[in-house]
Amino acid sequence: MKRMKLILTVLIALLVVLAPACKSRKKPVEPTTVPATTVPDVPPPPVQNTDTRVTPPADFVQETPAVREEVFPADIEELNRYVQTKGYLRDAFYNYDEATLDDAAQASLTASATWLKGREGAGYNLLIEGHCDERGTEQYNLALGDRRANSAKDYLVTLGVDADRIRTVSYGEERPFEEGHDEASWSQNRRSHLVLVR
Amino acid sequence: MKKLNLTLALAVLALSAVAPALLAQTDITSTMTPEQAAQIIRIAVPFPELNPAGGLAPAPVDAARVREGFFGPLTRDLAYSGIFAIAPLPPSVPVTSEVLKSVNAQLHLQLNVWTEGDEYVVEGRLLDQSGAAQLKKRYRSPAAALSRTAHLLANELIKTVNGRPGVFLSQIAFASKRTGTWEIWLMDWDGANQRQITHHGMLSILPSWAPDNERMVYTSFARGTSDMYIINRRGGARTRLASGLSLNTSATFSPVGNDIAFVGSVRGNPDIYLIKDDGTNIRRLTTTNSIESTPEWSPNGRQISFTSGRSGTPQIYVMDAEGTNVRRISYDGNWNDDATFSPDGEQIAYTSRVNGRFQIRIANLITGESRIVAGEGSNEQPTWSPDGQWIAFQSNRKNNRWQVYRMRADGTDLLQLTFDGENKEPDWSKKPE
Repeated sequence: MKRMKLILTVLIALLVVLAPACKSRKKPVEPTTVPATTVPDVPPPPVQNTDTRVTPPADFVQETPAVREEVFPADIEELNRYVQTKGYLRDAFYNYDEATLDDAAQASLTASATWLKGREGAGYNLLIEGHCDERGTEQYNLALGDRRANSAKDYLVTLGVDADRIRTVSYGEERPFEEGHDEASWSQNRRSHLVLVR
Repeated sequence: MKKLNLTLALAVLALSAVAPALLAQTDITSTMTPEQAAQIIRIAVPFPELNPAGGLAPAPVDAARVREGFFGPLTRDLAYSGIFAIAPLPPSVPVTSEVLKSVNAQLHLQLNVWTEGDEYVVEGRLLDQSGAAQLKKRYRSPAAALSRTAHLLANELIKTVNGRPGVFLSQIAFASKRTGTWEIWLMDWDGANQRQITHHGMLSILPSWAPDNERMVYTSFARGTSDMYIINRRGGARTRLASGLSLNTSATFSPVGNDIAFVGSVRGNPDIYLIKDDGTNIRRLTTTNSIESTPEWSPNGRQISFTSGRSGTPQIYVMDAEGTNVRRISYDGNWNDDATFSPDGEQIAYTSRVNGRFQIRIANLITGESRIVAGEGSNEQPTWSPDGQWIAFQSNRKNNRWQVYRMRADGTDLLQLTFDGENKEPDWSKKPE
């Protein structure tokens, strides 16, 4: 009798312990590859970079608890949208007529360097485009964009990204991300834009 | 283009007689001092006589074509010349010496136009008050080149009374996005005959004429990086100038020799460099850690103006062509760029920020004084006509979109030259013809 009681107690104990575990197995597993570091004050990625294809459908049910293999787009343009949306690559933003990296810009580039040196990023070269807002003059802004792109390149190199992997180009104010004529647009257009190339 | 055609048609209408009230609008003496006005020569230019010789079966001459292609451009050139004022003639009256006297015409341009085969023949006689011919010229051209005939004749008329040729055959290079991509285009001084020169299908900007009036150097991102290219205005292969540096922007031919000044960059430090037009002999002219940009030669090739951020904000400087003897030109405002010497070397026009917008500022290098030529919107990238009388520039005064405009160096006689898509970065050819 005593023995039966013991077995019963053990069984109940097991049930209590295992029940929540069983329940949690049915939950979709969050991707675990997102960098844990939080980045302060980084402007949100541009709207056109939003890629809805990476969001699972609403009725998606994860059958197994195994870690889901992340599938990166094969097309280079889609890949660039994907890594920007995911925050693996983050552009650096600047103040007016400045090419120096503030804390937010450094944090963005630190996150980018981590991914570029990681398993997925190591296979790509990087093009850094320097961009300026429209409020300056075109010719001086081409030179300023060159300085911005190189400031981002230099910082990535100090973080251990091979300099030979990085190429720079300045577009000055010739290719704005936002077409508006206010600070909301201008702040988006003052940036070093990171682009993966094969 | 439709708008331009309308403007053109109106100008032709106004100038080719009818209403004296309309003619008053094209009277260029209105913007001049009495002293300048006293030097203006009044010239009567009646519409050409078509098929003057008659003949057995003269080929019909398209009067509308002569009006639009030849008479319009000719009378506009003369009206804008600063040399001539067109004397208004009464309509439908034979041009007699009495009529010429009544409109105070000092000169009379007699024009005849007829066709021979596919060609138009234009004959011009410049007569003084005694009826003696000061100039006789005859031109043959296909119909499409009638405007060129008009500019040639206008240049000859200027040369006859002034000793110096007019600028009516000069060309303005510019960048246009009307095809969807910025490419290099060309147009006549009055905005006519706009034509595409480059077809990279990639961002191509900042054209700059060689002193031979044949070649241009510009920057294109055709290879994904920015490179300098040289192209002939009549077509043919373009050549890439491989500097081995980054940027390769703001390239500009020396008015003497075969050097090209440009902005090159090594590791994010843009400086002014020279390179030969065959891509050899690269020399660095500035050595500071600040941003340098936008070089432009003085007319004698001895000096180079440029923009530098060495003081903390972009300002205009001038140095000797060897990179020595640097002196600062601009002190007004916290952003100045796009400096360009006047053809006589005595003035520099540049883009200067005033109250948050850009304006064309003209500084006298001898007196040190400068003045703003104010306009609506932002006004940037000035370029002088070969005779120093005009400045073309870009303005976003209409709908925040860039278009190329032309004005006198004193800001009067403003004319919009481009309308199709967006257009910017004008560069006026260096020689008048």
